[in-house]
Amino acid sequence: MHIYLPIAEMPANVLLFLGMGSAVGFLSGLFGVGGGFLLTPLLIFSGIPTPVAVGTAAAQIVASSVSGAIAQWQRNNVDIKMGLVLLAGGVVGSVIGVQMVRILRLAGQFDLFVALAYVTFLGVIGTLMLIEAVGAIQRTRAQQRPLLARSSGQHNWVHHLPFKMRFHRSKLYISAIPPLAIGAFVGFLGAIIGAGGGFIMVPAMIYLLRMPTNVVIGTSLFQIVFVAGLTTVMHAAENYSVDVVLALILIVSGVIGAQYGAAAGARLKGEQLRLLLAALVLLVCVRIGWDLVATPEDLYSITTSFGGAP
Amino acid sequence: MRGLRVFYVIAALCLALSVGTEPLSSDAAAQTLARGHEDTRRIVQRIPKADPAGARGGAQPLPRETVEADVSSRAIAITSAFTGTEIVVFGSVLNSRQPSAEAGYYDVIVVLEGVPEPVVARRKSNVAGLWVNTGAFDFESAPTYYAIASTRPIEEIAEEDFLKAHAIGLDHVRLSPAARSAIRTQPAEITAFKEAVVRRRQKDGLYLKADYAVIFIGKSLFRASIALPAHVPVGPLTARVYLFREGEVLSTFQQRVRLEREGVELWIYWFAMRHPALYGLFTVMMAVIAGLLASAAFRRKAAA
Repeated sequence: MHIYLPIAEMPANVLLFLGMGSAVGFLSGLFGVGGGFLLTPLLIFSGIPTPVAVGTAAAQIVASSVSGAIAQWQRNNVDIKMGLVLLAGGVVGSVIGVQMVRILRLAGQFDLFVALAYVTFLGVIGTLMLIEAVGAIQRTRAQQRPLLARSSGQHNWVHHLPFKMRFHRSKLYISAIPPLAIGAFVGFLGAIIGAGGGFIMVPAMIYLLRMPTNVVIGTSLFQIVFVAGLTTVMHAAENYSVDVVLALILIVSGVIGAQYGAAAGARLKGEQLRLLLAALVLLVCVRIGWDLVATPEDLYSITTSFGGAP
Repeated sequence: MRGLRVFYVIAALCLALSVGTEPLSSDAAAQTLARGHEDTRRIVQRIPKADPAGARGGAQPLPRETVEADVSSRAIAITSAFTGTEIVVFGSVLNSRQPSAEAGYYDVIVVLEGVPEPVVARRKSNVAGLWVNTGAFDFESAPTYYAIASTRPIEEIAEEDFLKAHAIGLDHVRLSPAARSAIRTQPAEITAFKEAVVRRRQKDGLYLKADYAVIFIGKSLFRASIALPAHVPVGPLTARVYLFREGEVLSTFQQRVRLEREGVELWIYWFAMRHPALYGLFTVMMAVIAGLLASAAFRRKAAA
């Protein structure tokens, strides 16, 4: 069964994209990540033009983050104040990122930039997660309790910056600059690579801001809803690259998959989950990296402006 | 089967209608045709009529052959169910002197071409182990789609100069370099970029060539069926038909084919292009509602 995608200007196999959406949704529910970092490369591999893949994945991230954020909200796991500060940075980053997409497309370096960004971030995050998960599994085997990540009174350079703010929910009194910068960076990256950036945001919040782990995911999802929403609108307005038909297929399958994923995740051990996720992240990283180093079949490529965009 | 029957009926009609029309065409007509982009028309160029008195005598030359043709569908709708289609270009040779369909007395070339649009060709080279786009060349225009079908390889049918002048064949697709690119690129490189455009589009199934795809069915009737892939860029197409005899073009014909979005596809496209910000907001709202619905539905299910 095929359906014609009006913006991508190609027919799509509905079952394939439903399957892709529910698989990514399942994994995002299972691991508590947005799933954009998996979805965008999968869309590109299946022939969707890169700008359309990036713009449309942003819409899917909105949907999956909304259901995730609501679940976290009900458990009082969202630090609204921190979320708003991150969001303020995210908006700025996102605006710059969408402009950057236009510039890179004109220069012919967009695909390269996306690939490099993916390889770098997936490589780093995947490796760190792998090390952490293996360590956790070994500790469990040795019947040790995991070390606590944070103890009060612990300070790093982040705590010596000006413009200090109090974040009650996170029990933090820190400068507004690091959350703003993190928000901006993740917003920028999200706009370019079509991912919500949860996989960068979460470690940054834990290790740089030293936020309590229980509020990290909820706060991250809260602000991703808004940043991804803004990114979608801007991609539509500036790059004409959001395909609403493809978005609908991915959203419907994604949100359902995410609910089953979350249910399945509750029955698995955390460190095993993280090990699996790390393996998945590294697999995607290697697959994208391979295309950068392998001699291309044809050194030439051609691009057109699609959908009437300049 | 129904399609074939319709085709025969139309072809028969064409034949019936064309009885008694003036002899037409020639090389000059073909040139006008190749450049023209107006709607359906037949190029008419009269050649001096034979003396009626002489016509009754035995030495009178036979009337000159002309070609009449049409396409199976002049308007193709791109709906949500569009998965590509096939365009049948058919026609007949009036005053055919061909004894049979297999005689190979005439040659026919059919070209189906999309609108010219800008395209950028890029060349990768290895920079510190990574394959990076390092060279680029802008073309002001290249047809979005180009299909050619003929009774035999086109090099055997007509002279290189003629093919080039009329943009017939994948080697002669009209690719106009943008001046800003042309002034800073070596001629050899320009050729490489041109070849790359044709090669990439061929690989994508947007430029097609079929050497023996035009088939004579009777002594005057011929047909060619051309595949229009699902991802063909949306826009009007032009079908050109050339009739040859021993390397000389006898007659030409041109027909426009409309390829347009229809129904929901048209509406969505219009919305996305005309009100892009609103369209983006609409997409986000859809995503938010889907997220809310999913969490509400599953919460109820979990509570029950």
